[in-house]
Amino acid sequence: MKVPAAARVLPWVGVLLALLYVASAFRPPRDGVMPLSRAAGMPVVDLGRTKPLDTFARSTLLIVSGRQSFYLAGTDGTSERKEAKGHERRPALAWLLDVMARPEQARGYRVVRVDHPDLKALLGAERERKYFSVDEIVQHREALEAQIQRATQLPAGSRDHYQRAVVDLAQKLTLVFNVEDWANLLLVPPLDPAAPDAWGSIASAEHQAQEHGNTSPATAAWTGTLQAWRSQESAAFAAAPAAYMEWLRSAPTVHGSRMRTELLFNRSAPFLHALGLYVIVFILASLSWLRLSRSLATTALWVLGVGLAMHTFGLVVRTYVQGRPPVTNLYSSAIFVGWGGAVLGLFLERFYRNGVGAATAAGMGFLTLLVAHNLSLDGDTMTMMQAVLDTNFWLATHVVVITLGYASTFLAGFLGILYILRGVLTRSLTAQEQVNLPRMIYGILCFATLFSFVGTILGGIWADQSWGRFWGWDPKENGALLIVLWNALILHARWGGMIRQRGLAVMAVAGNIVTSWSWFGTNMLGVGLHAYGFIDSAIFWMFTFVATQLAIIGTGLVPLHRWRSLQPAVKTATSPSSPQGASQRPGSRRPATPLAPPAPESPR
Amino acid sequence: MNATVRNAFKPLASLKLTVVLLACGIFLIFSGTWAQIDMGIWTTLKTYFRAFFVWIPFAIFLPRHWNVHGGIPFPGGWLIGGLLMLNLITAHTVRFRYTRKRLGILLIHFGLVLLLCGELVTGIFADEARMSIDEGQTVNYAEDTRNVELAIIDPSGAQTDHVVVVPESRLRHRGRIQDARLPFVLQVEAFYPNAELVDGTELTAAGAGLGPVADRGFAASLGARARPRPSVSGVDQDEIDLPAAYITVLADGESRGTYLAALYFSLMPRFGPQDVVVGDKTYRMALRYVRDYKPYSISLLDFEHDRYLGTETPRNFSSRIRLVDATQNEDREVLIYMNNPLRYRGETFYQASFKQGDTGTVLQVVRNPGWLLPYIACTLGALGMIVHFGMHLKRFLRRTRTA
Repeated sequence: MKVPAAARVLPWVGVLLALLYVASAFRPPRDGVMPLSRAAGMPVVDLGRTKPLDTFARSTLLIVSGRQSFYLAGTDGTSERKEAKGHERRPALAWLLDVMARPEQARGYRVVRVDHPDLKALLGAERERKYFSVDEIVQHREALEAQIQRATQLPAGSRDHYQRAVVDLAQKLTLVFNVEDWANLLLVPPLDPAAPDAWGSIASAEHQAQEHGNTSPATAAWTGTLQAWRSQESAAFAAAPAAYMEWLRSAPTVHGSRMRTELLFNRSAPFLHALGLYVIVFILASLSWLRLSRSLATTALWVLGVGLAMHTFGLVVRTYVQGRPPVTNLYSSAIFVGWGGAVLGLFLERFYRNGVGAATAAGMGFLTLLVAHNLSLDGDTMTMMQAVLDTNFWLATHVVVITLGYASTFLAGFLGILYILRGVLTRSLTAQEQVNLPRMIYGILCFATLFSFVGTILGGIWADQSWGRFWGWDPKENGALLIVLWNALILHARWGGMIRQRGLAVMAVAGNIVTSWSWFGTNMLGVGLHAYGFIDSAIFWMFTFVATQLAIIGTGLVPLHRWRSLQPAVKTATSPSSPQGASQRPGSRRPATPLAPPAPESPR
Repeated sequence: MNATVRNAFKPLASLKLTVVLLACGIFLIFSGTWAQIDMGIWTTLKTYFRAFFVWIPFAIFLPRHWNVHGGIPFPGGWLIGGLLMLNLITAHTVRFRYTRKRLGILLIHFGLVLLLCGELVTGIFADEARMSIDEGQTVNYAEDTRNVELAIIDPSGAQTDHVVVVPESRLRHRGRIQDARLPFVLQVEAFYPNAELVDGTELTAAGAGLGPVADRGFAASLGARARPRPSVSGVDQDEIDLPAAYITVLADGESRGTYLAALYFSLMPRFGPQDVVVGDKTYRMALRYVRDYKPYSISLLDFEHDRYLGTETPRNFSSRIRLVDATQNEDREVLIYMNNPLRYRGETFYQASFKQGDTGTVLQVVRNPGWLLPYIACTLGALGMIVHFGMHLKRFLRRTRTA
């Protein structure tokens, strides 16, 4: 069969566009009037980690505002995205420098996010407002302080929604005030290479200089930079940190290449770009089934390759910057689950070339990166490890393997979703696909069983090493065990002939529920040694996810004669619920068609 | 094997039973996780996993303020685990053919049997205790923090104290306790598994029902009374049960005073054991955690609590200790820190906690004769899966290549 030229060119065009999209992420930074990028790499110690000023600015604004930039109208600074026409987008770093150097102006910016309606009422604002300036909040200081005091008298676990919002707002303000008080931030690297942890503040460095006469180049650089920012002199601002940055290159106590890599990571936002590409892959792959076009599937596969490369780049950079294995907290587990699923999906696509692997890889990549993005709104995602978790060996083995277990169980579940939805709602589940998809599910389930089993037991061994109990029946341990048992149950049911293709797909979808319970649900119980934090809205999304999976399971359980892909391929103008469909009662023999699978393999 | 015997065992060896049991196990574990919201891990362990039957209340899955009643009886962990084991073993005896293709499955299943055995051994034989040592202090016992004992100490010996202990179970029965080594009789007036100490002088009518009053010892001088409280659930990891008992000392048939013995006193350094004067001799009395004396001693040389730069987040806890064991001619320094325990004499010492102000360490002391089994089980299971699924994968790859 002759392939039309357009179809042959399509994958090339697709991959070229994808590469251009990715390349746009790596453009050198464009500065406005003020050369912001000159100050972006100045080191700060925050939450126990040395990070570039740019990261500190982004994570601080994220916590305060839920965004990495804000909007300013003219120069009066009273802007909210909605109300401002001709507003100007200001990056986090510009905000941070304003807070440090021009606090009286920065206090007028509407950046502090307040969501609770009662708290808005306390601030005397209408319900529609989202962002408030520090000045506006400080006006209500007395009322607010009384509420903060009441709320903090309760232990954190027993505060209600409103009280949590109050404490949250207090923390946001503290964060801003701490930045205003920049002379007490840890900005001065130690001069003595033997004491790499002895970071100091500008205030203490000035004191040192007076007492002992040893001045750090950091002091002059910071005061000069902030002065220049205050008067908005771009030449002085560009010049002030130059000598300090040069000195840092040879400073033994600051890991310069890690800092520069982190700046590149911040700028290129690899996960957001990967997310965008995954959406396109999913659409291309879905279209490939409807149009049954091979070249669309190939395009999907190639673009997936580019997306996965960007995903991998982000993962590797994070690993390098942190000096840690890839999974250290909930956020990074989401990134890694998506990555593992995408790699396995790519592997499937490579063998089957039917768009299924690409679509599931992209779907999983998209969803998990979306989850990760929402988890990242808590601030810096490269958090330090609690003492008991501070071991690269177990992070690299147990955590990585168990996360791959999550990834492969999810992948099997997503394949199950495709089988059910395509089978019930469309005619695209051909006889060949009716055999292929369950085979893919089965294969991935074997992987999932292996990874989750080994990962769970490695976790037990870690527990034995660190607190003397191989198995403690802790919620997180139980969650992991549930995945192993569920996968084992599916495999045994399949071997025993209790389920066939349809059953396999339906049970694999149920595996999504089990895995999401183990991954997020167990953290929401608020008990156990592994409870590393959760967010209110996470509970809502967890329930939503479970509800969708139950709906899909329900869809998968409709009688087989209702499955559009299993209906005889007679072209009629009637809808699936037409009298023709109704005439096929359960148990009535269907006419044999090429689409119906042979008897021993028939789905059950 | 005889065909009829084989047939009789068929249902027990069936894959259907495996699937049903796995499903039951999943539900049990799921429920046992939810139950931990109110029950605490040890109670859950005993009622759900190390039990033959369990009553699962519906309320554990629902918001607590709905006040849902009722529940279902369900097989517990021992029963499901035992049946799974039986299912597995009969399957291998009556159903399985031993071929090379089955090698992987055989390894996995053998690993699982070992794993279940390991959990059985742990459930029956494992023992956990704590050693809390202040900097500079030497300790030769571990404490079982789930049980208390009443200790009567005779400090008159030149080198060592003579200690008579009354176990918690004996205290719970109340009544009189006599011992040939003691020249007096102890009358247990009351025993509370958990009690708080309240100021007796401020109690009015409500205090009337509180039971005995102490006329000697700490409680008498403080004017304190013990008010019984329900036992702590366990989710609150900061809270512990604080048992207390009222003890009357009788000599020559006469009361020599009623004391309040409370765990609280033993845990507070400013109290410790209280004096009991009988005749011209002074004994000391304490309600304390059950002590298990060791043939060796551990001194805490230094405790370190490192934090991350500029934060309060702990980075590491470590205890530099000196281990002295005359029976083994052992005298050495050891550094115990997170993820790096000391293994000695079949016991493992873990860095578990620390005392306020970083002045002392708390080590978890675990004796588990089955600790090695999971390691072997894991290796076998993983190996088995790699062999079994590897064969699948090889076949799959060969098929796609020829296709």
